[in-house]
Amino acid sequence: MTNWRFKEIVVMAALSVVFGVVYLAFLPLGGVLAGIFGPIGYDFIFGIWFIVSIIAAYIIRKPGAAFLSETIAAMVEVLIGNAIGPMLIVTGMVQGIGAEAVFAATRWKNYSTWVLMAAGVGSAVTSFIYGYFMSGYAALAPGYVTAMFIVRMISGALIAGLLGKALSDGLAQTGVLSSFALGKEYRKRKAA
Amino acid sequence: MFLQRLNPSIKALTIMILVVLLAFIFEPMTPLLFLIWTVSITFIFGKVNFKKYALYFIPFVIFSFGMLWTSVVFADTPKNQDEIVVLLGMAYPRETLLTALALSIRVLNVAALSLLFVFTTNIVHFILSMMQQLRLPPKIAYAVLAGYRFLPMMRDEIKLIHDAHRIRGVNQAKTVTEKWNNYKRYSIPLLASAIRKAERTAIAMESKGFTGDKNRTFYRQFTVKKTDWLFPLIMLTGFLAALLAS
Amino acid sequence: MKPFVEVCDLSLRFETNQKNIFSNINFELYQGETVLLLGPSGSGKSTLTSCLNGIFPRELDGEMDGDIFIDGRKVSDYKPGELSKKVGVVFQDPETQFCMLTVEDEVAFGLENIGVPHVEMEAKIDDVLSLVHLSEFKESNVSTLSGGQKQKLALACILALDPSLIILDEPTANLDPIATKDVIQTINMLKKKMSFGLIIIEHKLDGWTDLAERCLLLNRRGEIFYDGSLREAIRDQRLQLAEQGIWLPKISQYLLENNPELIDLPLTVEEFTEYPSKWGYIEQEKSKQNLPVQVNPILETRNLSWSAKKREIVKNVSLTFYEGEFVAIVGANGSGKTSLSRILAGIQKPDCGNTLLKGKPLNEWKESLLRQEIGYVFQNPEHQFITNSVYDEVAFSLKIKNISVEAIQDKVHLILEAFGLLELKDEHPFSISQGQKRRLSVATMIVDDQSFLLLDEPTFGQDANSNAELMHLLQQRHQSNSTIIMITHDMEIVDHYATRVIVINNGKVVADTPPDRLWEMDSRKLKEWQLELPVRVQIQNIYEKEKDAYYVFTTS
Repeated sequence: MTNWRFKEIVVMAALSVVFGVVYLAFLPLGGVLAGIFGPIGYDFIFGIWFIVSIIAAYIIRKPGAAFLSETIAAMVEVLIGNAIGPMLIVTGMVQGIGAEAVFAATRWKNYSTWVLMAAGVGSAVTSFIYGYFMSGYAALAPGYVTAMFIVRMISGALIAGLLGKALSDGLAQTGVLSSFALGKEYRKRKAA
Repeated sequence: MFLQRLNPSIKALTIMILVVLLAFIFEPMTPLLFLIWTVSITFIFGKVNFKKYALYFIPFVIFSFGMLWTSVVFADTPKNQDEIVVLLGMAYPRETLLTALALSIRVLNVAALSLLFVFTTNIVHFILSMMQQLRLPPKIAYAVLAGYRFLPMMRDEIKLIHDAHRIRGVNQAKTVTEKWNNYKRYSIPLLASAIRKAERTAIAMESKGFTGDKNRTFYRQFTVKKTDWLFPLIMLTGFLAALLAS
Repeated sequence: MKPFVEVCDLSLRFETNQKNIFSNINFELYQGETVLLLGPSGSGKSTLTSCLNGIFPRELDGEMDGDIFIDGRKVSDYKPGELSKKVGVVFQDPETQFCMLTVEDEVAFGLENIGVPHVEMEAKIDDVLSLVHLSEFKESNVSTLSGGQKQKLALACILALDPSLIILDEPTANLDPIATKDVIQTINMLKKKMSFGLIIIEHKLDGWTDLAERCLLLNRRGEIFYDGSLREAIRDQRLQLAEQGIWLPKISQYLLENNPELIDLPLTVEEFTEYPSKWGYIEQEKSKQNLPVQVNPILETRNLSWSAKKREIVKNVSLTFYEGEFVAIVGANGSGKTSLSRILAGIQKPDCGNTLLKGKPLNEWKESLLRQEIGYVFQNPEHQFITNSVYDEVAFSLKIKNISVEAIQDKVHLILEAFGLLELKDEHPFSISQGQKRRLSVATMIVDDQSFLLLDEPTFGQDANSNAELMHLLQQRHQSNSTIIMITHDMEIVDHYATRVIVINNGKVVADTPPDRLWEMDSRKLKEWQLELPVRVQIQNIYEKEKDAYYVFTTS
């Protein structure tokens, strides 16, 4: 944390707060989908719950951004008071670790589209392993569990990875990111 | 009330441990008994508004019901297929049914534990206590508090942006692409304003001498008292009793 | 005695810019001294603040040259956070200076930062809250405070750290006139009691001139072109001041406009009152152009009422607006002005009553046709921006109709040129200056030839030049027979531009007259509605009193 500017931490926290709310808003939609398709319903849109990891990491580009932002988003969900309680913080950490691991593998240097999508998949993997034990997927048929896993990974890549990138790029265009890594890169590209 | 005065970190940790313990239970009796225990403790020691509690609890009931039937329908083939239970004219393996029941009651129990926390804890106190007891770095703690203050502002802002866009004649999206574009039009200004607010707040906080140093004094001090350990004791006893009784 | 602040050859450049934001800044400030720092937007005033309280160069993306000494030590030799005990800052935006939820926690935050022992905190908090008269709000939520109260809380937080220098970085730019007065009064009172030095950065000088004799003037290039007495600056640097778009106090500005020959100028109305004839007699030009004839009603409302959160905000309002009017809606904060304007524009549905546009009820209009008739400019222009470039922003409402590409191009080009935005056509709407954003938001609202334009405080928080440009554009619009309705707190604008003024108090229309008639109303009533007289009328009244006094004197 020592090479972070305080401004970056607060901005990351603000993003986490926004997406904490978004995360909560998507719970009922997941519930509806799960009502129709069974537990796999959640997996279709599971990527949305990793998106802040990708956005924060892509904008700030410092070790810990993916993990911390997801953790804080979960904390905010708890604070707003309508969620799975303090345990959700652990869920957030687990999801964050998945994305962080992918960025760590590039030594926090590469933020190309493919890496962002891979980070979304990373979150899907860790969150699935965690869910397998905590939510008792073990009791479900293996074929069904495999299908859940695949759907969740695709969702992570598309919703978290691609959508997260699109939103961040849109923000960079407005110029508000001028003092952050993504904004600086954007400026260089524009100048070139 | 006892639950409100409890150290928030101890409360949160106790609940986390209980949720983890619940994950190892695959029969319905223990979670059912412990659910009753949790709800009773909430009302006896927490003085919680019943109506509000019910309102928050109902979604979990629906979710748990969904969990019940999907766990039955999509269940793994049980080892013991001899025992069959007939329900609503359909036959199910007894083991499948019990596991499904256990999972859905677990959902309810986790919900009850969460609500116990949420209904009796002041969020600012929780963060301050996490900083003082659980070594949460002050930089993160105060950044979260600062961000949390933005929430009501953003709610107002969403409404404003909605109206402002309507004036521009945008909100007549019919196709999926149009709708998606609309969402994007909303989210960019909203996020941009959040980022700018965060930057300004960070500067204001630093100019008041905030450095993130861990050696800070506290206006609201949180300590762990002997009575705070009563809560984990009560809850673990309850869990053990439920386990032994079933 | 050594100066408390010493700035030597300070220059600063941001990574994003080619040019320096400011260059070769040199000045000294002694313990307890007060100075006004004036300059147009973009002259680097706020950046200088960040240098003085040690945020820069630590957080700077760019280069900084030169030195700053505070209390004899180089700023860079202070440890992070240490400088907060020497220099405190109150910032412009009341919403983004706090991180805690309640008033007491917020004051405590600063005390915790500098390690004040727990046992001493409560007393200190009570102390500073009573200094700014916020004691009764100690346990309140920060979000329930008004803008002015928030700024006073920000001040209290700073006072708690007991700094020797307080920098006020446009503390009233986001406040209405009443709150502005209150904040200035509070600072005046504190300054008498305590010994801190002050750097005041402001656009509008009124109210501050009593506090500071000395001023530093910055030009657009970020160089100090004057350091000395404000009075002498107004006497000797008039041309420069006007060129740089720096506001003069209202009274000085008014006298100067009417009598450019004047050498010395008063800085406050009080000063003028003491000896009016000293400043030469000003011929009052009797009211402006002929009032428009109220013949063609364009918008009519009948018995509008609207409540939110069980509180009645608009009460039984019936009004008729005629073609070609320039209407100002005035009243205290929270009186229901904005709500009423939103109902008029058809954004908010009233609980009862109805609104007719050109004789047809609003709810029977097709939304897209309605938007061709009525334009509405929001307080924050950014809320209305929906595209990624200035050009697209203006073209947007034309593009959703079936107009040929060439026709759109021509029209957009014309409007951008008229609004001084043509050079910026490829920029992102969020990245242009405040004044440009405001003009752009107005441009988007008239591109479709809307003839009925509602504006919610369009002159809020802008510097003199942008303000003048905007009002000029609106006046042109008005002269080409558009109807303009504008919410404002600025009585000079009402006096200068409006043909009709509507006063809202507690959700009700309490006055609806030409401006001249309003100024003649009972002063107690105006006070109750929180309205001030424009300078022109104040002077007129002073002359009249003088005349009466003279009359009494000579006849007795």
